[in-house]
Amino acid sequence: MTTDTVPTAVALEEGPPVRSAWMRFVSDRPLVVLSIVLVVLVLVTGAIEPNYLSLRGLRNTLLLAAPLGVMAAGQTLLMLTRGIDLSVAMVATAAAYVTGNRSPSGAAIAIVLGLVVGALAGAANGVGVGIFRVNPLIMTLAMAGILLGLFTQWAQTILQGSTSVAPFIRTLGGGSFFDNRIPWNVLVWAGVAFVVIWGLRATGLGRMLYAVGDNPVAARLAGVRSWQVLLVAYTISGLFAAVGGILLAGQAGAVDLRLAQNFLLPSVAAAVIGGTSIFGGVGTYSGTIFGALILSVLNSMLTFLDAGQAVKQVVYGSIVLVLAWFYAAVTRAE
Amino acid sequence: MAAVTTARSDALPALLTASEVAKSFGTVVALRSADLAVRPGEIHALLGANGAGKSTLVKILAGVIPADAGTIHLNGARIHPRRPADATAAGVATVFQDPALIPDLTIDRNLRLIAVDPGRIRSWLDRLGLGDLDFDAMVRDVPLPILRLLDLARALAHDPHLLVLDEITAALPADLAERVFEVMAEQRDRGRSVLFITHRLAEVLRVCDRATILRDGRHVATLTPGEGGEARLVEAMLGEVAAAVTEPPTTRERPPEAPVALEARALTSRDYLKGVSFEVRAGEILGLVALEGQGQDRLFDVLAGDRPFDGGELVVGGRPLRPRSPFDAIRSGVVLVPADRLHALLPQRSVRENLASTLYNRIGRWFSLVRDEDERVSGVIERLTIDTRAQRQARRLSGGNQQKVAVGRWLAAGFRTLLCFDPTRGIDIHTKDQIYALLRELAADGAAILYYTSELAEVPVVCDRVLVMYDGRIVHEQPAAAAEERVLLGAAHGLEAAS
Amino acid sequence: MTAVAVPSGQAAIRWRRWLVRHGWTVGVWVLLVGLIAWYSTLIPRFGNFTMASIAKNSLPTAYLAIAQAVVVIAGGLDLGVGGMMVLANATSALLMEGEGFGMTLLIAAAVIGGAALANGIVGWVIVTSRVPDIVVTLATLFIFSGIGLMVLPSPGGGTSGGFRRIFTGSSSGVGTNYWPSLVALAVPLALVAAWLARSRRGLSLYAAGSHPIAAYLSGVDTRRAKITAYAISGALAALAGLAVTAITANGDARFNNAANGTLNSVAAVVLGGIALTGGVGSVIGAVAAGVILFVLNPILTALGINPNTSQVIQGLVIVGVMAMAGLLELRRRRTE
Repeated sequence: MTTDTVPTAVALEEGPPVRSAWMRFVSDRPLVVLSIVLVVLVLVTGAIEPNYLSLRGLRNTLLLAAPLGVMAAGQTLLMLTRGIDLSVAMVATAAAYVTGNRSPSGAAIAIVLGLVVGALAGAANGVGVGIFRVNPLIMTLAMAGILLGLFTQWAQTILQGSTSVAPFIRTLGGGSFFDNRIPWNVLVWAGVAFVVIWGLRATGLGRMLYAVGDNPVAARLAGVRSWQVLLVAYTISGLFAAVGGILLAGQAGAVDLRLAQNFLLPSVAAAVIGGTSIFGGVGTYSGTIFGALILSVLNSMLTFLDAGQAVKQVVYGSIVLVLAWFYAAVTRAE
Repeated sequence: MAAVTTARSDALPALLTASEVAKSFGTVVALRSADLAVRPGEIHALLGANGAGKSTLVKILAGVIPADAGTIHLNGARIHPRRPADATAAGVATVFQDPALIPDLTIDRNLRLIAVDPGRIRSWLDRLGLGDLDFDAMVRDVPLPILRLLDLARALAHDPHLLVLDEITAALPADLAERVFEVMAEQRDRGRSVLFITHRLAEVLRVCDRATILRDGRHVATLTPGEGGEARLVEAMLGEVAAAVTEPPTTRERPPEAPVALEARALTSRDYLKGVSFEVRAGEILGLVALEGQGQDRLFDVLAGDRPFDGGELVVGGRPLRPRSPFDAIRSGVVLVPADRLHALLPQRSVRENLASTLYNRIGRWFSLVRDEDERVSGVIERLTIDTRAQRQARRLSGGNQQKVAVGRWLAAGFRTLLCFDPTRGIDIHTKDQIYALLRELAADGAAILYYTSELAEVPVVCDRVLVMYDGRIVHEQPAAAAEERVLLGAAHGLEAAS
Repeated sequence: MTAVAVPSGQAAIRWRRWLVRHGWTVGVWVLLVGLIAWYSTLIPRFGNFTMASIAKNSLPTAYLAIAQAVVVIAGGLDLGVGGMMVLANATSALLMEGEGFGMTLLIAAAVIGGAALANGIVGWVIVTSRVPDIVVTLATLFIFSGIGLMVLPSPGGGTSGGFRRIFTGSSSGVGTNYWPSLVALAVPLALVAAWLARSRRGLSLYAAGSHPIAAYLSGVDTRRAKITAYAISGALAALAGLAVTAITANGDARFNNAANGTLNSVAAVVLGGIALTGGVGSVIGAVAAGVILFVLNPILTALGINPNTSQVIQGLVIVGVMAMAGLLELRRRRTE
């Protein structure tokens, strides 16, 4: 997580390069591998619960995947810059809470206010990390604590009142169209996905996110002022967290301060599964999309198996560990 | 090199023999086939130009990195040191180029960190004249020369058969260097051996019994320094550096009325720069040579806006410039090709993305891609003939191609003054030629180029004029075409210019 | 050279140097004592009962601070400490319920040993896989606390009175004798601090965290140093979990407990003057900072401030301290 280290050519213990054809394949075509994993998981889940292999069953998976995927978008952008956002879950909750509280004033105003909360929290993270060089981990952990303290208090004071969200938001987050087959929130996710994928590929900002994460020194010597890039990245991440939180609130119908708390590790996990490196510079949002889908299918499977939150924590944690190890091994093999 | 006798036929049994040792880092070959034989009771010099592979060989002997091929024998038994601790246990103790001390611990704790009785280290420190050292001082506050002697005392405390000293004298003032020589002689008199790496040939002539010379990762000769003196050593080290350059350098002419692109007026920066003044004109390649550590790194950092200067003035394109970040310098057209390729490369991104990375340093360009990005990048790839077979990730490129990318990313963005810090270090001769030719083309198109090189032979080939830097100042200036290495070397050592 | 050759006996110079080096630690302790003194004036009946309450209730955070400090000094970061604490708490509360004193001690020893082994394996995974510490330990935070939740799905369990007395001074967990709690903190703290500063293995942790390359070149086994650090961290996190069991006679494996534990440990380390980049600082400062983080809550309550505000203040203080350090570092790097 150090921000200014340069990759060294001469590692201390350099073994002979191991080149196995399939490792090369995995590293060049990660999406193929991820889609195979996804299909296998869907089939296994279908074998456990045959009803799952229907549009209804898949609908439930998508319903869960969309808010996760949106929150993981911010996480992906930050990991590309060697950062991380451990406040996503709390920012999402905070934004959703404001949206729920302001719902009586109309859905549009409520949503805008929620997004503003997310963007502000993200920008504060960006100022801390980008300008004051606070370690991203500490900055975002502290931000989560600050928001939790503030909102626990505000829930009893200035944000008293409504905790249920406006009907429009409820439809957006939990409703579906096309004969109740496709959730609306997938449309929102698709919009986010389009912006992120296009932004990373075809804008100067996207290039600079990769550059700052891949080699901060080279970026600096190329004239990039990394604080600008980081400030924007953290703000966007806060914004996406807010979108995810609002979708969750719509799904739940009401808000409380534990709304998004189970989404922190999955948001990191989705990015890690999708091949984004926490060392920065490598990763795509398409990978993260697969990561979010895989985690959601897994969640459905564990639910069919009657596994509680405890088992899910262990399974998610183990998957992150194993996949991070796997990617590290593949990268080193080159 | 036919006149040179090789060590392999020597009759005396060797203390240490390394044969055909090879090592590559990715695509960069550091050692092709190095041989070395050190006899018991001798001081043996290991010589070679920058990038010849000396330090790699030292690291292999010391167990820091494993060799890809080759064998090492010590006292007749084959050794495979896989960690530094293995090497010291076998009897090879090394003082590395950089201090191997922990900056955040006191001297006393540093001495207790290794598997040797601290009392023995202290008694060596006594003999090195550091008996009154404040052992409670934090290592990060201790001056470099003292650290070097601490490293030496720690190595000696292992009581090694072979003591390896990698450029230990580079950071030592004359009186302390003298103490090191005394200790080296003592070791020899006790029948122990010393492998001594240095850039100072005078030291080799004075204290070394024999010298092994590496060039381009190969063993080229083992000589007795006394026979034939400095000239033979230099001849063996230099080889035919720039022999393949086709175009004679003297044919170029620069219109004298070209405007000054960049001028430094009495620049100072901490202890590194003590008033540096020079100017470089559009269309001119201004060479800069210096020994290691004379402030040239700092000068380039300051000019590129990566560090501030304390005093003096920097004038770019006729206007004073006080850059607060590299961005400010770049906006004024001053761009840097840094000493370390890794400081210019996005190792995990594609070649095309690397070349375009200089286009997006301002927010105004963040919302889309530059319209002619593809043409610009393709133009650079073509002009530099960058090998694009491994273009998916820049780290997979060879060293030469990486260097082309480091230069090429500025071609894509455009510039007026190019600061090149030793751009040809450690790359193959063909790519060197291409870079020389490119720089001359750029100058012909009106660019001003400041070119630091650690290879003196490059000066007449590449440059129009040459400066010599010593101890934070410019001490010598002359036209490059007439530059003799002997004169430059003398000035670089702080001697009065001989001509 | 004269700069390093300080004649011994110049007390003033030595004293000043000691202060520069340990100023932060001293400052944190002074702040702690000051806060407690202030607290004593804020509430009407400050006495042994309050002291005992502070002493015992700050134990878990203090242990976690040591656990985190050891790993951070060695150049790592263990986000899993909170998970390990929760796991130890759940396991011990489940196993100790209804057992006698001797048996509970055996269980405690087994829990600590198991935790050291498990977290040592985590350290091995980190040095072997070269996956960043934060990814691995973020995963173990969830894995350990998840296993804790499997062991004890809902709060419950118990322990023996004798075991409660070790940490709280009273078999009911409530009393006026604060000495046992202080001893329970001082003993592991002194052991770890002395080991780190005096032994070769302990110093190797600083070496591995400060400058791993120099450490490796001088023959230090940096891999072993890091694995050792993680094993110690696991043992101390387990000790924190056992303290919770003793204080509450209860096991509670909810994820929030784990997350808060980790958060507090990182905060304590940062405020205690240990650089997150490794190699600098002392566990003694981190412990004081950990206790301060705990003491802030009752103080703010006594001041009539909403307890949630204390969480906000905590966060702001952490960020403020880190931001200051970041700016100083930036200045140093640009001008040096």
